[in-house]
Amino acid sequence: MSRTLRHDLPIHVILGILAILTFYPFVFMVITSFKTSPQFIHNFWGVTWPPTVANYRDAWHRISIYLANSTLVSGASVVGVLAISSISAFVFARFDFPGRELLFFAILSLLMIPGVLTLVPAFLLIKSFGLLNTYWALILPYISGGQIFAIFILRSFIASLPEELFESARLDGASTLRLFTSIVLPLSKPILVTIAIMNILSTWNDYVWPLVTIPDGRRWTISVGIVSFSSQYGGLENWGPMFAGFVIASIPLIILFLFTMRYFIAGLTSGAIKA
Amino acid sequence: MAQLTVERTSSAMPSSSKWALTLRRMTRCKECYLLLTPTFVLILLFNYYPALSALYHSFFQWNGANFKRFTGINNFVLMVHDPTIWLSLGNMVKLTLVALAINLTFPLMAGALIFHLRDLRLAYFYRVLFVVPMVVPGMVTLMIWRFIYNPNIGLLNQILKAIGMGALARPWLGDFKLALYAIMFIGFPWVAGISTLIYLAGFQAIPMELLDAAAIDGASAWKRFWNVELPLVMSQVKLIVILTVIGSFQGFATIMVMTNGGPGTSTMVPGLYLYRNAMYYNKMGYACAIGTMLFIITLILTYLNTRYLKSSVEFTGV
Repeated sequence: MSRTLRHDLPIHVILGILAILTFYPFVFMVITSFKTSPQFIHNFWGVTWPPTVANYRDAWHRISIYLANSTLVSGASVVGVLAISSISAFVFARFDFPGRELLFFAILSLLMIPGVLTLVPAFLLIKSFGLLNTYWALILPYISGGQIFAIFILRSFIASLPEELFESARLDGASTLRLFTSIVLPLSKPILVTIAIMNILSTWNDYVWPLVTIPDGRRWTISVGIVSFSSQYGGLENWGPMFAGFVIASIPLIILFLFTMRYFIAGLTSGAIKA
Repeated sequence: MAQLTVERTSSAMPSSSKWALTLRRMTRCKECYLLLTPTFVLILLFNYYPALSALYHSFFQWNGANFKRFTGINNFVLMVHDPTIWLSLGNMVKLTLVALAINLTFPLMAGALIFHLRDLRLAYFYRVLFVVPMVVPGMVTLMIWRFIYNPNIGLLNQILKAIGMGALARPWLGDFKLALYAIMFIGFPWVAGISTLIYLAGFQAIPMELLDAAAIDGASAWKRFWNVELPLVMSQVKLIVILTVIGSFQGFATIMVMTNGGPGTSTMVPGLYLYRNAMYYNKMGYACAIGTMLFIITLILTYLNTRYLKSSVEFTGV
């Protein structure tokens, strides 16, 4: 046995137990998603064969609309957040103008305001705009709220870029827009991806706000939809399709994770620490 | 020297020309304000207005539509006499303390263990592994836990039956005494999450020389952890404390989908009570007052946390 392994072995044992405890419910979910109800009752723990793929067809019928809604809402929100926050962060980081500190503080102090405080008036505002039951009820507040943290992170990143880059570009006669598209955007790409992922994760998982502003079940996002779906199928003891629905609901973010794992972990650690 | 003269003249200038100077600087960067407009239109509309409106309307009896009457601090007086407020605040404190105890131990341990692995490839593997559950939508995880606690066929009761302790099987979320504890237990063993990653990043930022020096001094692994590594991740600890406190003060979605405050009001929390008052009883003013109370408590705790824990970081930095 190598020295490394001998040193690591007790750690592997503990981490292994923690991993099993963490993942068992998810493994159980996947196994059960392939069972019919009688199979589940008679064989609670084991894997049954052949797998009941019909559960997935059944669940997809109900879940797909919520996934489409969530993709639209989270997609539009993240585009808005990136566009608006990168411009504002650029201005705060690279230009000197009267009121800069005050305006930046006005954005930063919003990090202190809890969502529960604004819930009621924000709902009434959306209602007075006639936006209840529309995707805008979600997208606009998501952009507004999401840009705060994004500006905060992006500003310090853009401020850390060397001034010489901007200086030489200006001497070549580059406009402000040119500085933004040719210097700021390409160099901030990794951090923009990280911000995008954090933002998608938070809008995808939001529950209370869509519940309040979207009474119409056809426009629900996945978070609201899956709870209603789960209550309905669970209430009927229709466990196989219920768990199949859970698996389907998890797939989009897992795919996103597979392609952007590096940024994901970087964002969850470094991004959070800077906050 | 030149700087000094300029400053003196500028301060000696009549205020009208000082304004003119500022105005000139402002017009020179017209673009800046233009580019910031989208940001400020949005936050004024969707963040500042609702926040100020909530603070303002906490002094009103208000149904959110046609009825609005100024009642001074009456909402706050009502809150003091409202037993549900006290019950939900008590639950919130219990949930926060337990969440703190969990987040300051289990993820810290997991982070430290991963950090101490000599095989860096496997360390990276564990790091990725413990991120995966975070990618599962939060509501899916909660629905799985709702199934785990299911009284008839739930995983927990089935496990108890399988190991011959079926007598302990319970309707966990339907039990007045147990429901709150069942909610605290969600996410067991609590290592897959942002906290583990934050601690791990903290450990990895410790300069190698410090660890080597401690190892050469012959300090035991436990001593090194307690006296060298732990003090150096205090800023991470501080962050986790803030995140946990804010999270458990604001987050009521978990309670809402698990028990909806029940059975009875045994798992009620202020956020959910606010939601009920606004959406079920149309007491928008009272709901705003509850929000204001939560806001003030959060402010005070964040302030205390920054003050109290900052000193400990400075201390360890010496």
